[in-house]
Amino acid sequence: MFEKSLWVFHLNSGSCNGCDIEILNIFAPKQDVERFGIKLVGSPRHADAIAFTGPVTRECLPKVIEAFKAVPEPKIVLAIGSCACGGGIWYDTYAVIGGVKELYKILKEEYNIEPPTTIFIPGCPPKPEAIIYGAALARGVVEQKQKREIYVEELDEKTERDIVEILFGESTGTRHFLPQITVKNSEESKNEP
Amino acid sequence: MLIEILEKNGSKIIRHDENIIIALVSNKKLKKVAKELFDAGCYYATGVGVDERPKNGAFAMYHILNCEDEKRYVIIKTFAEELKIPSITPVICGANWAEREAMDMIGIEFEGHPEPERLIMPDDWPNGVYPLRKEFHYNQKVPAIEVKPKKRKKDPKIMEVPVGPFHPTLHEPESFELYIEGEKIVGASYRGFHVHRGLEKLAEERLTLNQVPFLAERICGICGFTHNCAYCQAVEDAAKIEVPERAEYIRTILLEVERLHSHLLWFGVACHLLGFDSGFMHTWRIREAFMDIAELLTGNRKTYGMNLVGGVRRDIDENKKKKLLEILDKTKKETKEILDNVAEMKELINRMEGVGVLPKKEAREIGVVGPVARASGIDTDIRRDHPYAAYGELDFKVPVYKEGDVLARFLVRYEETFESFWIVEQALDQMPQGEILNEDYELPEFAYGLGYTEAPRGEDVHFVITEGGNKLYRWRPRAPTYNNLPAVPIMLMGEKLADAPIIIASIDPCFSCTDHVAIIEKGRVCRCSLEEYLRLKR
Repeated sequence: MFEKSLWVFHLNSGSCNGCDIEILNIFAPKQDVERFGIKLVGSPRHADAIAFTGPVTRECLPKVIEAFKAVPEPKIVLAIGSCACGGGIWYDTYAVIGGVKELYKILKEEYNIEPPTTIFIPGCPPKPEAIIYGAALARGVVEQKQKREIYVEELDEKTERDIVEILFGESTGTRHFLPQITVKNSEESKNEP
Repeated sequence: MLIEILEKNGSKIIRHDENIIIALVSNKKLKKVAKELFDAGCYYATGVGVDERPKNGAFAMYHILNCEDEKRYVIIKTFAEELKIPSITPVICGANWAEREAMDMIGIEFEGHPEPERLIMPDDWPNGVYPLRKEFHYNQKVPAIEVKPKKRKKDPKIMEVPVGPFHPTLHEPESFELYIEGEKIVGASYRGFHVHRGLEKLAEERLTLNQVPFLAERICGICGFTHNCAYCQAVEDAAKIEVPERAEYIRTILLEVERLHSHLLWFGVACHLLGFDSGFMHTWRIREAFMDIAELLTGNRKTYGMNLVGGVRRDIDENKKKKLLEILDKTKKETKEILDNVAEMKELINRMEGVGVLPKKEAREIGVVGPVARASGIDTDIRRDHPYAAYGELDFKVPVYKEGDVLARFLVRYEETFESFWIVEQALDQMPQGEILNEDYELPEFAYGLGYTEAPRGEDVHFVITEGGNKLYRWRPRAPTYNNLPAVPIMLMGEKLADAPIIIASIDPCFSCTDHVAIIEKGRVCRCSLEEYLRLKR
């Protein structure tokens, strides 16, 4: 989607700092992603991508939505850390909304905003290398690492579609990055060494 | 002397030993006792509201004070009579936040509190729902109520400069509002506690004893290990668990590694804010070595997952030790080089000297801790005053500066960094052989425990009440920034706007620690109003 330099706005929605420090770390000399044209910007208006951390606390929610809306389309969201990906250990407490997907639901219901392309980078915190890999994935430089192969006895188009739908029932409508699913005939797998 | 004060006022001593005194004080005598304790040299560490209805049929409030002269913690407990307890904020200003926190989370009313406003939950949280009461469940979703933003008076001469909640210098969702007249800051307000994640309730209700250390680590991504260390010590204190000596040394080493990387992080941020970006790059390059050390020793760069109640999970073998010493030797030279360069740069020194002064008197009243206190001439260090882990057997100096400005806070951290290198080296050298985990213990019912550590930012206090089995009745962590933050407006007053970022950063604020419970602070930051602060300043 973005062929040139990726400008990133760091949006902390109530994270513990672990992921935020690792984000800063990739701009430090060891990794130094500025040489790839990736840059942290101060204003959401300047950004192409959001480096999203934290489980979205209740107090933060209205402010996060404001910042989210301020980033111009098209945008990419890098959901960094377990909290951003799924809410982390506090996914269902009274004070937490529970990660980007829950945020998207609210955005969709209340503001009719379609979820942007999202890259999930799990880890508590993810290593800087993983964050860079995520950014590279956004650019299409590398392939997605998480893949899923499913074997069925009789393979036809309908079963394939059904399985994909069941596995990612809710997510199929959105533009999330999903694990690549390949449905294969179980006969084939037997032939493989 | 502490015990005399308590006995004189007819309080019932529940526990009395070397480190901790717990006393039950009657409602009428509370204010008097608090005043006398404060005059005897105690400062306010934290306050804990507990729903004790299933046990005693009432709500209780625990005020935890730290007495530096006697090197002891005093915990005064009071029961609420018809949900009411007299407020001690008029006597000890540091109790302000803690009392308001209890007000919102438990629903105790504090009589005579100067500003009994909603503090804890978000604005849209309905009245009368108290998350820390036992009948409230951690996963209860409370519908939002409508709120109207309050109207504020505006003075045409004074301009408001909002900083945050998402701001390039902050990296955390907190908001400061600075009031400026020309270039001069005449007021500041802090509205924080955006990072309330419902941690205490989660620990009480869903998690078990040995799962909580992993939760405690996630209070803060920078100083997580001190938090889980303090928690483990609190439980060990409550259940009288003996920790193997080797485990104590391993804890010490990790605590110091954490301090090193945290301080280097701060130097980097400070250099960046002062406009010296090469300094930022160099300190962060050196800091990467400490992340490698952490990964080598624990398997994770940040959340270590090392502590359990009764010891640690992974040992340090000879191979790791050798590698660790090699890295330390190299980084020590590099750190010295870069920090000496920074300390010799006139431009940087000029921007730090005499900026953001916090006088000793105010520092004591608010109860600031850690490097901020030491830079204001208060000689305090939990590692020395209340030895925990293996600090009692190690030799280190505690730097103290009188100036109270940003430069003093810089120098305190500068000296501490090299002390930390020295502590790690000593600990590695002296580490005895033996077990690392003691799993042979039983958790008593309703026992109190207090754990304290010196985090890179100051004193961490964790208060624990056990429930027996493998559950906790109440757990209350208190992070150092909670005590340090109210001092920021005093530092900011009368300074130039351009200096605000470095002054705010000079306390090394860590908001995620502070916000484990939500408190909203509007307009005012401490007992004193803006005018009072201005008067103090003059």
